[in-house]
Amino acid sequence: MSATLAAPAFRRFTQHRLAAFGAATIVVLTLGCFLGPFLLPFDDTTIDVMNRFAGPFSGTHILGTDELGRDMLARLMMGGRVSLIVGFTAMAIGMALGILVGAIAGYHGGWLGAALMRLVDAVLCFPTIFLLLALAALVQPGLLSIIILIAATSWMDVARIVEGQVKSLRERDFAVAAQVLGASDARIIIHELVPNAVAPIVVAATLTVARAILLESYVSFLGYGIQPPVPSWGNMLNNAQIYLTSAPWLAILPGLAITLAVTSFNFLGDGLRDALDPRMRGR
Amino acid sequence: MGASMDDFRTDRRAILGLGAAAALAPAAARAQPRPPERPRGQVVVGLSQEPTVFNPLMPGIEVDQGVWWNLFSPLWFTDPEGRLVPDLAREVPTLENGGISADGLTWTVRLRQGVRWHDGTPFTAEDVKWTLDLINTPSFRARSRAGHQLLRDIRVTAPDEITWRMETASAPYLSILSLTFIVPRHAFAGVDPNTAPFNTAPIGTGPFRWGSRQPGDNITLLAAPTYHLGGPFLERVVFKYIPDLTVLYTQFRTGQVDHTSIQGISPPFVREARTLRGRVIHVNQQASVEHIAPNLGGGPLADKAVRQALYMAMNKRALIDAIYYGLPTPTESFLPRQSWAFNDALPAHRHDVAGANALLDQAGWRRGAGGVREKDGVKLEFTNSTTTGNPVREQAQQLLMQDWRAIGATMRVQNMPAAVIWGEFWQQSRFQSVMVGVNFTLGSDPDVTPRFHSSAIAARGGRGQNTYQFANEEVDRLLVLGATQFDQAQRRATMQRVQAILREELAILPLFQRADAEGVKEGLNGYRPNLNCSSNCWNIREWFWTA
Amino acid sequence: MSGFIARRLGQSLLLLVLVSVVGFAILHLAPGGPLSQFASGSDMTQEDLDRIAEQLGLNRPLPVQYAEWFVRMLGGDWGRSFRDGEPVLHVIGAHLPATLQLMVTATLLAILLGVAIGTLGAVRRHSVFDTLATVGAMVALSIPTFWFGLVAIYAFSVWLGWLPSGNRSTPGDGSLPDLLRHLILPAVVLALVETAIWSRYMRSSMLDVVNQDYIRTARAKGVPEGRILLRHAFRNAALPMITVLGLQLPTLLGGALVTETVFTWPGMGRLFLDSISYRDYPVVMGILMFSAVLVLLGSLLADLLHAVADPRIRLG
Repeated sequence: MSATLAAPAFRRFTQHRLAAFGAATIVVLTLGCFLGPFLLPFDDTTIDVMNRFAGPFSGTHILGTDELGRDMLARLMMGGRVSLIVGFTAMAIGMALGILVGAIAGYHGGWLGAALMRLVDAVLCFPTIFLLLALAALVQPGLLSIIILIAATSWMDVARIVEGQVKSLRERDFAVAAQVLGASDARIIIHELVPNAVAPIVVAATLTVARAILLESYVSFLGYGIQPPVPSWGNMLNNAQIYLTSAPWLAILPGLAITLAVTSFNFLGDGLRDALDPRMRGR
Repeated sequence: MGASMDDFRTDRRAILGLGAAAALAPAAARAQPRPPERPRGQVVVGLSQEPTVFNPLMPGIEVDQGVWWNLFSPLWFTDPEGRLVPDLAREVPTLENGGISADGLTWTVRLRQGVRWHDGTPFTAEDVKWTLDLINTPSFRARSRAGHQLLRDIRVTAPDEITWRMETASAPYLSILSLTFIVPRHAFAGVDPNTAPFNTAPIGTGPFRWGSRQPGDNITLLAAPTYHLGGPFLERVVFKYIPDLTVLYTQFRTGQVDHTSIQGISPPFVREARTLRGRVIHVNQQASVEHIAPNLGGGPLADKAVRQALYMAMNKRALIDAIYYGLPTPTESFLPRQSWAFNDALPAHRHDVAGANALLDQAGWRRGAGGVREKDGVKLEFTNSTTTGNPVREQAQQLLMQDWRAIGATMRVQNMPAAVIWGEFWQQSRFQSVMVGVNFTLGSDPDVTPRFHSSAIAARGGRGQNTYQFANEEVDRLLVLGATQFDQAQRRATMQRVQAILREELAILPLFQRADAEGVKEGLNGYRPNLNCSSNCWNIREWFWTA
Repeated sequence: MSGFIARRLGQSLLLLVLVSVVGFAILHLAPGGPLSQFASGSDMTQEDLDRIAEQLGLNRPLPVQYAEWFVRMLGGDWGRSFRDGEPVLHVIGAHLPATLQLMVTATLLAILLGVAIGTLGAVRRHSVFDTLATVGAMVALSIPTFWFGLVAIYAFSVWLGWLPSGNRSTPGDGSLPDLLRHLILPAVVLALVETAIWSRYMRSSMLDVVNQDYIRTARAKGVPEGRILLRHAFRNAALPMITVLGLQLPTLLGGALVTETVFTWPGMGRLFLDSISYRDYPVVMGILMFSAVLVLLGSLLADLLHAVADPRIRLG
């Protein structure tokens, strides 16, 4: 087998391997966070001040203890529940809303498209902090409200990007052809246009997951999110600030967890994009 | 001239007397350095909040006051030992020297001569009268009229003498004036005092004059050559706004900041900070008392037995040692132990979980589902709030949560940003309990009428800050009596009784008297903490660099 | 074209009014107020607080307050900050230079690096470089900027002592070398995250293009790879980036809150957060209107650029 033929095969292999790795990691993380706490001898809120700042791999606590002597592994798992739920759900809602608005506006154009895009503009006019402040004043604190808050501040970018893509795609041959063949608008949007815009959507989704996980701790800071002692990766990272030099693992562990989750999702997204993108199909 | 050198010697003694703090300062142990002949060098003071208010009569916070001390002068001020020291006045009026009449109603203040405003205009009694009148001007946004609203017939009897009558005798007014900075009458001629150019380019009689301000970043003050009390020895003072405490500490560490003031170094950094070369860390007792503020207006915390049990069940020692690294001192009173009115005979806190459980059993709080106690269908559950973004306080909350779970009491954390928690939530007593540090004194005065008199409950239409909704007839009577007692011994007895009642009733659950770590670069002399002023920047006029 | 622009400008004015109404309502209805900061631990009593609220006109009905604000704003008077008493436009003006300096430097850096990394990553997809760039970008996105800032400060200023740990300049020194030395850390830290974002969008966009028929046709015809990239692929891949660029414009002047905090950079982001935290209504409204104008402008510019770059798009 010649090198020129082997290269694409290798590429295809690595690409699937990365996607598979991403999917597997997310499954493992999710299972770990939701089942793991039942297997641990420690819970995430029991304070033991005599035993705080224990380093990882140094004693009975595998990943060490935090500033109040609580088990880091237990806190990472419980924190992962909050962060993973918030990150993925907020992303999903934000993406769905953004794609819907963007696709309709881009495909229809005219007054409806203009109205929708001006709505996007209007929401974008409010800086995120301001939007959070506003929405937070209206909803009851809790996990669901965090998700809604973050989703509500994450759909506009996608809407803009999808609108731009769809607007330029709808004049292309395949879309025009579909129209001539009498396909319905919804069919054209779903089957022809959105799949062609999947590349930037996947990127935006990855960015949104990361943003949502970090934004959660900010919403909590505003007083509308989760409160101590409930952990999340974001608030663990925030609270570790003052121990940057004295107990760096307090920051490194949640930081690693977030990176792992986001990176896995990115690889998964990359694979997903290849699978969905019509130009790549059958190759 | 003599006055200034006297001031200076007190300064050195005070530092030596500070014990632990001074022991850490190698400079104090060596031969005492002498200030330079002419102002030299600059000091960068790092602040975690931005000073923005420069009219000292308008609403401002601690960091603003830190700047005011350097631009302006009061008639007299309170020194670290709690004594009133004349500044713009020639002497502090008392019953003995006749400055205050026997009935406490007529005051006469004689002023220092030869004092000049930074723009060269001579300072006179007219400026004092203008200041007091301005505070009471209805359209002016004065910070507080407390005490001032009692003034009647303010008369200038000579360029250096002013006299007034008071509606009722008020002992705290001496302290109120020690925190009232005098402003120049001529700066307000023909302008709205709320928007006068003075407010953004102030003119004072203090040791430093206005230099410049870069909003969001820094304020620069320059030495005032005409200052009347000795000093200043620095050419320039820069107040630098550094919003994040970790960053503030880091900049102190790298030497970009010479002094960290007000919430200077958070407790987790203190141990490391003490090992830094070329940096001196002072742990200063503050006047404010950290406590759990219960809302006595309803809910389980209105029950005295519950408060007693909660107080007994808290492991104060662990909280102070672990979370606050042993820096602050546990206390039972709302007054700092340095106050002349402090009652040191209050019953000491005892950590006793069994006792707390017994107390609740006796009071009829029975354990219900999930181990949470109940009485008459009311669960022993309450929320505790503090400002978000304060990780040290959040740790303390979580420790208390665990302590109280052990006696069947459930505390839930409900923290909020400062703008929200200190709004109606606090002012109108909408909270169940709050973790807060409050300075109950005014200068060195122990009057707490606005905090604990039953007429001061805003939630019931009162005009004070009694957000606890504490109401006790004997305390009401004692507070009224105390405010009219000019004899310190008599007043001390009154205030000690007030402290005893508040401790018995547990109107607040006192945790500790705050102690803040502040850093000073080695070679900077004259730093002298003063818990009677709201900022340890009160005496930068005495600071200088070792040559 | 000019008809389109006129129509859009008209819509934008309408939107601005809408944004101001909604913003004003949200701001005033949100819990807390400008006097909260004085309510704990100061000598001000409830009586004082009530009096000052009255003096500031905070007790009047909201529509009245809004109408007054709106009429004055039309006349160029944006009110005065509750915090320092300065006119709002003056406050914004004082914070703009610092933000511009930082944001323009960081954004240029990020676009250059991001486009280069993204393009290279797409062309050499699944190479070691691409995988490293991908993981690097994910790390940059997953760790809060605050952390990068702190770590950079510890590395370059506490341990190595090469660069200052913050601030725009040394007090008393405003020379160009001093300013540049202070600019390096914050600009690089800020550019890090931006680079990650740009490189991801660019890579994805480029991947889309290099697989399209005309590129494959060109390749089959034997057109040199470099020319293909520059002439054909790059131009088309840049199209979706215009939208991203339009979204970036407001942040240029809006500042970067976290970077500004870590490096004590007195810019707009910090001002906005402080103004919101202290409920400094006039300043918040000022910044809100200011940023709204930029958002609408960015949106309009992106649409125009799109139309210019892609003749298939009709301006509707």
